[in-house]
Amino acid sequence: MSPLSSIPAYSANLLSQIDRLPGKSGDVAQPSALPAATPADSSSFSSLLGKMVSEVNAQQQSSAQSVNALQSGANVPLHQAVISMEEASVSFQLMVEVRNRLLESYQEIMRMTM
Amino acid sequence: MIQILTGIQNTSAALDAEQTRLEVISQNIANAHTTHDVDGKPYQRRVVVFETALQNALAGGPASGNLPAIQVAKIERDTRPPMEEYDPGNPEADARGMVSSPNINIHEEMADLISASRTYEANLAVVKNARSMALQTLSIGRH
Repeated sequence: MSPLSSIPAYSANLLSQIDRLPGKSGDVAQPSALPAATPADSSSFSSLLGKMVSEVNAQQQSSAQSVNALQSGANVPLHQAVISMEEASVSFQLMVEVRNRLLESYQEIMRMTM
Repeated sequence: MIQILTGIQNTSAALDAEQTRLEVISQNIANAHTTHDVDGKPYQRRVVVFETALQNALAGGPASGNLPAIQVAKIERDTRPPMEEYDPGNPEADARGMVSSPNINIHEEMADLISASRTYEANLAVVKNARSMALQTLSIGRH
C-alpha cells in the first residue's frame, strides 16, 4: 500500500474539521460571547478548539481583572498581576500557534494538484 | 484552566512571602527609634517566620489541593533586650537617666533587606525562565 493512497481520506477528514471551525459561518463573535463547549459534542475538534479559545479568553479577562484591581487600590500584589498577564500572553501565543498550524495544513491541501 | 506556566504557583507564593518579609523589615527600620510602642514599652524588632504549606496539607487544610511552597507562619517579636542609652533630658528616661530604645541594629536590618530583595529577584528569575521555556516550546517545529 503506497503512502499516498491514504491522502484522500485524510484530506476529507481535515476539510470536514476545518468546515466545523467556529466563526467560519459568518459573523465574528465577540470574545466575551464565545459559546461554552457543550458536553454533547465534546469529542469534535471544533468544540475542542472553541473550548481552548474560551479558556484563553477567560485568562485574558482574569489578567485584566487583576490589573484593574491593582490600579483601583485593592490589595493585589504587583507580581500577581504581572504573572497573570504573562500567563494570558503565553496562552494566547499557544492559540495563535495552533491556528498557524491549522492554516498551514489547509494551505498545503489547497496547493495540492488534482 | 490551562496551566501554561508550570511551577508558577509556588513562585508566586514565595514572592508573596518575600514581600511580607520586606514589609516587616521596613517596619523595623521605620521604628528604629520608637521608644513607645502600643504596650508602652520600646518597640521590639519583628521577625517573619516562614513555613512550607506541607503542614497544612497533612492537616487536611484548604491548601491540600494546590500546594504553595511557602507561606508566612507568623510574625514574632525578637526577644533580645532593648538597648539602653544615657539621655537624662529625654522624657522617656528612667530614674537613672537611661532610655530604653528598640533592640534594632540598623546594619542588621539592611543586611536582611538585601537578602530579602535578592530572594525576590531569584524568584522573579524563575518566572522569567518558565516564560522563556514555554515560548521556546511553542516554537517547536517552526522553520
